[in-house]
Amino acid sequence: MVEFLVQRAFISAVTLCVISVVVFTGVRLIPGDPARVLAGVDADEAGLEEIREKYGLKDPIPLQYLRWVSLALRGDLGESIRTRESVTRIVGLKLPITIQLACYSLLVALTIAIPAGIFAAVRRNTVWDYLASGVSLCGVSIPNFWLGIMLILLFSVRLGWLPASGYVSPTQDPVANTVRMLMPSVVLGAALAAVLMRQTRNSMIEVMSADYIRTAYSKGLSTPTVVLRHAIRNGLIPVVTIVGLQMGALIGGAVVTEQIFVVPGFGRLIVEAVFTRDYPLVQGVVLITASAYVGINLLVDVSYSFLNPRIRVRGAAGEG
Amino acid sequence: MKGEPSASAPRRAGRLRRGWRRLWQRPPALAGVVVVLLFTGMALAAPWLAPADPNQGNWGNLRKAPSWEHPFGTDDLGRDALSRVIWGARISMRAGVLSILLAIVVGVPAGLISGYYRGALDLLLMRLTDAWLSFPFLILAIGLVTILGPSLTNVTVAIGLGATPTYVRLTRGLVLATREEDYVHGARAIGAGDLRIMGRHVLPNITSSILVQATVSIPAAIIAEAILSFLGLGVQPPDPSWGTMLNTAQQFLEQAPWMAFWPGLAIFVLALSFNLAGDGLRDALDPRDY
Repeated sequence: MVEFLVQRAFISAVTLCVISVVVFTGVRLIPGDPARVLAGVDADEAGLEEIREKYGLKDPIPLQYLRWVSLALRGDLGESIRTRESVTRIVGLKLPITIQLACYSLLVALTIAIPAGIFAAVRRNTVWDYLASGVSLCGVSIPNFWLGIMLILLFSVRLGWLPASGYVSPTQDPVANTVRMLMPSVVLGAALAAVLMRQTRNSMIEVMSADYIRTAYSKGLSTPTVVLRHAIRNGLIPVVTIVGLQMGALIGGAVVTEQIFVVPGFGRLIVEAVFTRDYPLVQGVVLITASAYVGINLLVDVSYSFLNPRIRVRGAAGEG
Repeated sequence: MKGEPSASAPRRAGRLRRGWRRLWQRPPALAGVVVVLLFTGMALAAPWLAPADPNQGNWGNLRKAPSWEHPFGTDDLGRDALSRVIWGARISMRAGVLSILLAIVVGVPAGLISGYYRGALDLLLMRLTDAWLSFPFLILAIGLVTILGPSLTNVTVAIGLGATPTYVRLTRGLVLATREEDYVHGARAIGAGDLRIMGRHVLPNITSSILVQATVSIPAAIIAEAILSFLGLGVQPPDPSWGTMLNTAQQFLEQAPWMAFWPGLAIFVLALSFNLAGDGLRDALDPRDY
């Protein structure tokens, strides 16, 4: 077990190193003086000199990289060109909003996907199964930003039931916060629900054909008891992995969802940073996103190995 | 080695033939294929099909609701929405297909070499793909477009590069399984070189899986292009991309809701058709069913 954890942690560390090189090189690939790129077009000569000094831009590239990494490890990701605020501080303010949105979306997705997936598996090859599969396929194919616009059109413009956009902090007004987060959560959760529903169905079908399930049925247990007491635990193991793997899609989806519903979170921050050519902010945000994604995947790997010991053994003996 | 028979060729041809026959027996998959072909035809024949110039504004026709003259209505500059949706198909199909083609051209040879030779190169490539896959697809595409600048070509390149590691990993996995097959050992025993084994024995046997992956990746790429254009990072106005059309439509939801309906429906129907066709193709080519 320890060997498996060390191996996974090592792979994640190597991945993080490569990510940092990619992010560092990315900003250096932007045409023009790197100091000008990092300080913005309005910076004067003194400002440029300060940036050159801080990041050692006159030094050889490998040394510059090491200096940048050591600053990043200490939480210094530079300053926003636009606001002159620390990138770490800006991210710290925006990230909780997106985490809240992601949690709500996950809740929406799990609430729809798991019961529907189990039902489709138990009623395999019936009209319910076909309906669930059809809905799942539509969920994967529908562009979430269009779904968002259509929901605004229906629930805000036509019916006037929900506010079309905006954000209220949960500490300020929890009810208004939940109401405003409702449509963005459904939009962001829809595609995830579709993927999870499909995975739950396939995995449950496999589990339901196992010998121990047949034994449970032969003892005279009812289908709900067999499903809830015997099948669900094994059936949902692969779903945990898919949830982890889908976190990247969730972060990506948050970019466009926050844009449509004017939620001032991490996703909207990325778009604003790109449009204002705020490269230190773009660099910091991309680095944090990728690092968080690696961390989540590591957690999923570890939790999966706890749930399924066979993976642990195969993982330790397997290949990179 | 001249005239050496490919042991896998007849089996492959038979499987493909059976696969096509099975595809024809699945109505949803067949419907998917037909709609994809219709969209392809629409994209190719856009100059003849579109009733009006997609970029020609008409100040007397601003935001007109759907009518016989303009079945999809007109937009904020009085342009015919149907013509813009038809021309938009060309942009979406181009971005979707070319980006995945780029991912295949880069990813498949890399995966082939990685899986066939293993060793240090394989280890390096796998760590690189791990790192590449650590960037959420859209964030990576946004990052690349920031560096390259917004345009259809750059969006296509960014989506293609974002999708490449999937093909490297897929191909590598398939090669690892195929290189241990008896016919590959047989070819090696009679003196076939690495290039010949890879080109004549390994690659043809993994093509169907790559094709199935492509049918799943293309709708994702089409949606990615629409998202990037919606965010203003892709196709620039006045060119008619479905994403930019939705971006504009968002500002007129109350006055002209039809502006938001048709481009989104087009993306949805095209992506759904690709997914239906891909599902059918995967079932049809699944060797477990033979």
